[in-house]
Amino acid sequence: MRLRNRRRRVYLQAFLSLLPLILILLVLRVYPIAVAIGKSFTNWDGLFQNDWIGLQNYVEFVNSGPFLMILRNTLILLLNVPLQVFIGLLVALLLYERVMGWKFFRSVVYTPQIISAVIIGYLFRIFFGFRGPVNIVLNAVGLERLAIEWFGNPLTALGVMVISIAWYGIGWQSIVMLGGMSSISHSVFEAAIIDGANYWQRAFKIVFPMIIRVIEFGVIASGVWTLTQLFPFLHSMTRGGPGYETTTLDYMIYLKSFGFSFGINFGMACSIAVILLFIILAFTLLEMRITNRAELGR
Amino acid sequence: MYKRATLRGFLVFLILAVLTASFLYPLYFMLINSLKTRTEYFVNPFALPREGLQLINYTTMISQFKILTLFKNTFIISTGTVILILLVGIFASYAFAKLRFKGKSVLFVAVLMTMFVPSQVTIIPLFVSFSKVGLVNSYLSVILAYLALFLPEAVLLLTANFRGILDEMVEAAEIDGCSYLQKIWYVIIPMGRAAIFLAIIFYFIMSWNDLFTPMIFLTKMEKRTVMVALASLMGRYSGSPTYQFAGLLLSAIPALIVYFIFQRNIIRGLSMGAIK
Repeated sequence: MRLRNRRRRVYLQAFLSLLPLILILLVLRVYPIAVAIGKSFTNWDGLFQNDWIGLQNYVEFVNSGPFLMILRNTLILLLNVPLQVFIGLLVALLLYERVMGWKFFRSVVYTPQIISAVIIGYLFRIFFGFRGPVNIVLNAVGLERLAIEWFGNPLTALGVMVISIAWYGIGWQSIVMLGGMSSISHSVFEAAIIDGANYWQRAFKIVFPMIIRVIEFGVIASGVWTLTQLFPFLHSMTRGGPGYETTTLDYMIYLKSFGFSFGINFGMACSIAVILLFIILAFTLLEMRITNRAELGR
Repeated sequence: MYKRATLRGFLVFLILAVLTASFLYPLYFMLINSLKTRTEYFVNPFALPREGLQLINYTTMISQFKILTLFKNTFIISTGTVILILLVGIFASYAFAKLRFKGKSVLFVAVLMTMFVPSQVTIIPLFVSFSKVGLVNSYLSVILAYLALFLPEAVLLLTANFRGILDEMVEAAEIDGCSYLQKIWYVIIPMGRAAIFLAIIFYFIMSWNDLFTPMIFLTKMEKRTVMVALASLMGRYSGSPTYQFAGLLLSAIPALIVYFIFQRNIIRGLSMGAIK
């Protein structure tokens, strides 16, 4: 009898503890996602039009000119992932040596993550401006041919973005990898040193295999991040332009909904959002399988 | 052996020092150029200011930018977000970490599934709903959006940490006659303070730095946050980089101060909690 009372009390506690969380997520996450999916089949403009048009938005978007451009831009921007993971790993290996002042170096490397992406975007915009410091240096060392209008051409503009995003992400990657490395026990290292393994052998044969899952996590997390969080970078550097030349999916949603004062098309924006949603869902499932985060709940 | 190790140590130190310099240089560059005249900047952006420190760049930014109002707006939003995340997150994480009930793992996975849904997907329906109930242009609209956006991750962080608290501690508190709220107040919060502290700093900085959500929800000038105002200001001053540098630096400073005070907690939390 007392046991049953106790169990009932636990259920009541769990229910009350979780109720606010569940209500917030239902009202502010699940419901808007459902609305976005529903409205993606309409010509909704937020005010008067709200007619069912089936898959027309999707068909129109996939067949439109910007679609292939967005695909190209996304693929180019994803290049920041290998770049930041690779440099992040190198920095983590260097920090792992624990030389004098390594704690200071570690906290400086993480600093870009603390600065708003908006600020970093404008900073790179100024640095790579036509009369900016990068071109001044290029002119001074006799590489005038390279001192171009970086944001005048979509490919170089995307290149600058890749660099700025990698610069922003390196700190996070290296701290997370360093965290993974510190779980490697020192006796493994000592044994390897006794067996005569040199530095590179130790790095590639011991450290690398032991943090491969951390690296996988870093790749997927920054991949998802690249697909969803580039808004401040794009907004500060190119606003997706010229035309749609540097636009991505997430920026396109903004352009189609709030970006222009004319031609607002919430229905179209919702259908792009749904496409993005499914891409992210696929990534998330992959990520959960890899890190086994789901096991926490058991 | 010893000698080789120190040589290598020196090389590593050197590389790290160069890397560190490349991370600090943009901040230094912003600082020196925010104190120059426009001509001085275009003549040589790498030199130190020679014609005296142009504090006028900062005073102009502060008056044009109404930076104190912006700081106040952003502070209200960030603080409100953090308080609500803790209020909801601590109870939910306690239930996930310490209570046994049916359907827990399914529920936990469902909560995590919403973690990566980007704000762009929900922003249009939220905007329309918020404007129906008159929430647009209120701090609460941004706070609620952040709350929904950050809660799943915060719950993951706190749950992982609370699971490390010994069951015996909670049981002992129960035997001592602690009520449910007392258990959380006297056992869970003190024992999980590292993660709670990390969440406070982390989500404060996240909300301080965000652009997208406040840009959509706050259209009135006097309600804008720092980053929204900065984005519109940068376009207006595109011809005068020295003003831009002053504006950029001013908006970066609050988050940087928070980081340099609490960096130890942030880095320890990141290297422990990010991966399970």
